[in-house]
Amino acid sequence: MAPVDPDLTVVLATTLRVAGAAVLLAALPAIALGFVLARASFVGKSVVETLVAVPLVLPPTAIGYLLLRAFAHDGPLGPRVLGVDLDVLFTRRGAVLASAVVAFPLIARAARGAFEGVEPRLELVARTHGLSRGATFATVTLPLARRGLLAALALGFGRALGEFGATVIVAGNVRGETQTLALAIFEDIQLGSNEHALGLVGVTLAIAFALMWSVEWLSRPRKARASR
Amino acid sequence: MTRFEIRLELALADFVLSVELATDARMLGVFGASGSGKTSVLEALAGWRKDARGRAVIDGRVLFDERGALAIEARGIGYVPQDLLLVPGRSVRRQILFGPRADASSFERVVAILELGALVERDADTLSGGERQRVALARALCSRPELLLFDEPLGALDLPLRRRILPYLVRARDAFQVPAIFVSHDPLEVAALCDRTAVLERGRVVALGATQRVLRERASDLEMLENVVAATVEALEGSIALARLAGGSVVRVPSSGLAVGQAILFALAAEDVLVTTLEPHAISARNRLPARITAVHRDGGFCWLEAELDARAPTAITVALTPAAIDELELAIDKRVHLVFKTSACRVLG
Repeated sequence: MAPVDPDLTVVLATTLRVAGAAVLLAALPAIALGFVLARASFVGKSVVETLVAVPLVLPPTAIGYLLLRAFAHDGPLGPRVLGVDLDVLFTRRGAVLASAVVAFPLIARAARGAFEGVEPRLELVARTHGLSRGATFATVTLPLARRGLLAALALGFGRALGEFGATVIVAGNVRGETQTLALAIFEDIQLGSNEHALGLVGVTLAIAFALMWSVEWLSRPRKARASR
Repeated sequence: MTRFEIRLELALADFVLSVELATDARMLGVFGASGSGKTSVLEALAGWRKDARGRAVIDGRVLFDERGALAIEARGIGYVPQDLLLVPGRSVRRQILFGPRADASSFERVVAILELGALVERDADTLSGGERQRVALARALCSRPELLLFDEPLGALDLPLRRRILPYLVRARDAFQVPAIFVSHDPLEVAALCDRTAVLERGRVVALGATQRVLRERASDLEMLENVVAATVEALEGSIALARLAGGSVVRVPSSGLAVGQAILFALAAEDVLVTTLEPHAISARNRLPARITAVHRDGGFCWLEAELDARAPTAITVALTPAAIDELELAIDKRVHLVFKTSACRVLG
């Protein structure tokens, strides 16, 4: 049995930690926004919807640059303004933040779809039978949207996993700290380590396949899942 | 009897719903064609329509008025919507015991009345249309309702199934005695369930009163006016069942699928009943019942007569006949007559 590549282990661990933390960071606000967009009507809703969609088409390098400017020493979230250094730039914290920002719109939009898939009149029936708004959300809406929300998180995780442009600008490419699979592949190509790059691509492909398979399975209608 | 006072303004897509009614009823029917605003009335009462304005007081409880509105969860309503809205992926037991108001102590009784005992552990997604309908009804009954709202609960079922489910609704109405509003475009369902009925046309109440009278007045719009009569099967004689009415009269109805002791409803078209002033002899029709005329209505070429069977616990039967027949037989209020109809004219529901 071939020995496990120690570099791969480190890169894989960094990737999973960064992507996992990014999803954790983005999940709550993205799901909350998805719910609001699915259920609420308010002035300016289309503007919010567009703003949520913009990062999907914005080059990740542009997102990275905006984050870099925001957290720079004299940026609006930098030490001079806040009076405290959030220690984001060129740290794993920065990699997590960059991945979370990129994953956020995907999670929010998929969460919106999951909530829209729950018949709103079911919530009204629940309230008619005495459940408060909160209890209705917790016991009716959330369980019925559960699979769609899991698919949203898996999508977000997959996006964070493949994140490159924003991460390299905000967090750099520090082995064992911020170097994820995407960054390691880039470095291998730059250094001409083609075999090693191919190996990392293979691992990335396997993870991506597993993730998208689970997204497809979770997105399938309940009866179709049961019949498989 | 429950006092219903409803004044309601609500803008709909095609017209403004403007309902005003005040009446005492055990079960109030709201009858009208599709798109007349019936569902919107119920949704406004349930608090599902935030833009509804006006005042709704049921049995002294103010659901909403100019000063404010009860929260949806505080209205004490059991709602059976047309599309039933069962929560996917839950067992029948969990569907019925749904929400904090769910009354576990009445579960067994409700399940027994609606004959759901064999289904309680089944996933509701696997049930047939009729079974799902009964589950939705059970859920509403188990929610300690102070008001029940039925929005065409049989509307999604085919006609034979609707007729089979109808007796369950009657049974539930009689067993639980909860004030209720029943919305339907089916005159037979309204006649079977509701003692008072409001007719809705493009968002306005165009008639309100005793159900049989209101339906009779609308009869030109209906294919046929049907009497709906409750009875209990007392004996079976081959293809005929002897069914006793509440007041004691015995009616012969087709016995197919019936059992002794079974509570039934049967429909009898007003056009299928003959009136005779003499006791009928030598006649093939099996049902020949003494009755007293309580009302005679002339309306152009159509005439309606209301007659009461059994003075002690009267059953009202509406009869359609011609003006010439009324004149020739000198039919008038309080006159004693016999009502004659064939066994096969009685259509057992359920």
